[in-house]
Amino acid sequence: MFKKKKGFILSLTVASSILLAAGCSSSTGGSDSGKNKGGDKLPAVGATIYKFDDNFMSYVRRAMEAASEGKINLMLNDSQNDQAKQIEQVDTLIAKGAKSLAINLVDPKAAQTIIDKAKAKDIPVIFFNKEPDSSVLQGYEKAYYVGTTSSESGVIQGEMIAKAWEANIEKYDKNGDGKIQYVLLKGEPGHPDAEARTTFAVNTIKEKGIEVEELAMDTAMWDATKATEKMDAWIAKFNEQIEFVIANNDGMALGAIASLEKAGYFSGDKFMPVVGVDAIPEALDMIEKSKMFGTVLNDATNQGKATIDLATNAANGKDVLEGTDWTLDDSRAVRVPYVEVTIDNIQVGKDAYK
Amino acid sequence: MSTQAMKNSKITKWLFDHVIYVFLILLVIGIVIASPDFLSVTNLINILSQSSSRIIIALGIAGILITAGTDLSAGRMVGLAAVVSASLLQAGDYAYKMYPNLPELPFFVPIIIAMVVTGLFGILNGVIVSKFHVPPFIATLGMMISVYGITSIYFDRPPYGAQPIGGLSESFTKFAQRGIPIGDYEIPFLIFYAIIFSVIIWVIWNKTQLGKNMYAIGGNPEAAKVSGVNVAKNIIIIYMIAGLLYGFSGTIEAGRVGSATNNTGNMYELDAIAACVVGGVSLSGGIGTVPGVITGVLIFQIINYGLAFLGVSPYIQFIVKGAIIIVAVAFDMRKHAKKK
Repeated sequence: MFKKKKGFILSLTVASSILLAAGCSSSTGGSDSGKNKGGDKLPAVGATIYKFDDNFMSYVRRAMEAASEGKINLMLNDSQNDQAKQIEQVDTLIAKGAKSLAINLVDPKAAQTIIDKAKAKDIPVIFFNKEPDSSVLQGYEKAYYVGTTSSESGVIQGEMIAKAWEANIEKYDKNGDGKIQYVLLKGEPGHPDAEARTTFAVNTIKEKGIEVEELAMDTAMWDATKATEKMDAWIAKFNEQIEFVIANNDGMALGAIASLEKAGYFSGDKFMPVVGVDAIPEALDMIEKSKMFGTVLNDATNQGKATIDLATNAANGKDVLEGTDWTLDDSRAVRVPYVEVTIDNIQVGKDAYK
Repeated sequence: MSTQAMKNSKITKWLFDHVIYVFLILLVIGIVIASPDFLSVTNLINILSQSSSRIIIALGIAGILITAGTDLSAGRMVGLAAVVSASLLQAGDYAYKMYPNLPELPFFVPIIIAMVVTGLFGILNGVIVSKFHVPPFIATLGMMISVYGITSIYFDRPPYGAQPIGGLSESFTKFAQRGIPIGDYEIPFLIFYAIIFSVIIWVIWNKTQLGKNMYAIGGNPEAAKVSGVNVAKNIIIIYMIAGLLYGFSGTIEAGRVGSATNNTGNMYELDAIAACVVGGVSLSGGIGTVPGVITGVLIFQIINYGLAFLGVSPYIQFIVKGAIIIVAVAFDMRKHAKKK
C-alpha cells in the first residue's frame, strides 16, 4: 500500500510541475504578458531565433524584446538550430493567432516552406539576419527581410586592414617584403556572410594596392574553440611568418587571440593584428586591451529594432515602414549598415549594447 | 481488508499499469487549464503531423530496444536519407542543383533509394552487433559518427559545396506538406504515413515469427538460442527494418522542411529513445508495444507543442522533459521489480 502511495506522489509531482511550468508561462518569453493591460489587447507577433545561445543573436533578441515593450505581444521561440523544429514552431505561432511573423531562419533554403504556411493564412513575414533567396522573397508580397549587405562587412574589414597596414607598416611587415602574409578564419562554408566576408575583405585590400599572400585559410564554423585549435596549428606551422589574422567573426577572432596569447603574443614586443566582425562586447574589451586591432559592428540593436518595427506595423495592418526611418531596397529588404570599430571610436561599439 | 480498501487497491493497480495514459490525460488537462484555447482542431492536427515522422523513427528504435539493443545512429541516418533524397528530388528548373543534368524523377524513386541506403547501414549495424558482438551502444555510436562523415562528404560537394539542398520538386513537397482536405481543415498525408507504418510494424511484432523471436531474444537470448532461434539473423533483420524506417523518415523530413543539410536529424535518436521509454519499452529488452511507442511520442509532442503554445521558456521545457523521462523509467523499473 505504502509503495503505491509513493507512485501516486511521483505522478502528482510531475503533474504539478507541468502546471507550475504552465503557470510560469506568462512571465517568460514575454508571451502573454502584454495582454489586457489597460483593457486593450496588443497584437501578437510570432518570432523564432535560430538558436538562443548564439552570442550575436542573443543581443538581437534583447533588442527585439526591448523594442516590443508595450507595442506588441512578442512570442519568442528558440529553434535550437533545428529547421524542422522551427517549422513546427511556426505552425504553433500561427495556431496561436500571430498577426505577423519575424523569422530568423536556421537554414536559409527553408524560407519557401515558411512563406507557404504564412501565405495560406495571409500573415506577413519578416525574415531577419539570415537572408532567403531573393526569388523566394519576391514570391510573396508580404515577405520582407531585415539584415545587412553581406559584402559590406567584408569591404569595411578590408579597408580597416589596409589602413592599419599602411599606418604601421614598419611594425606589421615582419619580413619586410611589403606583402601581407595572413591567415583567415572562415565561418560556416556556404553561409552567405562567410563567403562574402572572405572574398570582399581580401579583394578590398588588393584594391587598395597592397599585395597579399594567403598562408592558410580554414573554417572554424564561427566557433571560438575551433578557431583556437586552427590557430594553434598555424602558429606551430608558420609562427613568425604570420603578419595578420583575419576572422569572419569576433568569436573566431577571440579564439585566435587565446591561441596567440598561449604562444606568447601580446606580451612585450610580440604583437599580432587581429580583426573580426560583429563588435561583440568581449571583442571591444580585447580592443581596449590592445589585443585586437578592430572589428566591424554588426548592429544587433538596430537589426532587432528594425525587425520589430516592421513586424509591429505588419501586425497592425499598416505599411511596414510607417513611422520609421528605414528604407526598403529592390529586394524588399532593410539593410542595416555596418560600422568600423577600432580603439579610436570604441564608444560606438559600446553604445550598441546599452 | 474491507471491500472499500480492496476496491481502492484495484483502482490504484489499474492506474499503475496504465500510468502512461493517466499521465497523458493529466498533461492535457494541465495545459487546457492554463490555456483553454489549446483545445482546437488546428492544434490537434499540428501535434499529430509533427508526431508522424517521430513515430516512424521511434518504431524503428523500439524494435531494437526490445532485442535489448539500442541505436544511436538513427538521427544521423535520418540526415543521410534526407540529404540523399533531397539531392535527387530538386526541381528541374532550380538553379543550384546538385546534379544539374538529372531529370526530375518520380518522387518515390529517391525515397526508395534513400531507404535502401539506410537499410544497408541498418544491416551493417546488425552485423556488427550480432556477428562481432560489439555492444550495441558502442557499435551504433561509431556508426553515428561515421554516417555523419559520409553524409557530410556527400553534402559538401561540387558544384555548389556545402549549401543546404533546397528547391525540392513540387510533387515531393506536396507529398510531405499537403494533405486531404476535410471541411475547413487539411489532414496532412504525414499522419497517414505514420498510420501505415504503425500497422505494418504492429503486424510484424504480433503476427510473425520474426516478432516472436524479437521478444524472445530481448527477454532471454540464451533461451531463444536453445530453442532454435537464429539470433544473429533476426537481429540483423530488426536493425535493417529500423534502417528502412529511418530512410523513409529522412525523406519526409526533407520534404516537410523543404530542404536538407548534413545537420538534419541530429539527435533525433535521443528523442525517439526517450519517447520509447516513456511509452513503456523496457531498455532491458523483451517488453514494448506499438500503441505504447505511439503514446510515448504523442506525450513528448504534446509537451513540446503544449509548452511552446503556452509560451513557457525553452529552458524550463528542457527541465520538464528531463524530469518526465526519469519519472517514466522510475515507474518502469518498479513495475518490473514487482514482477520478479
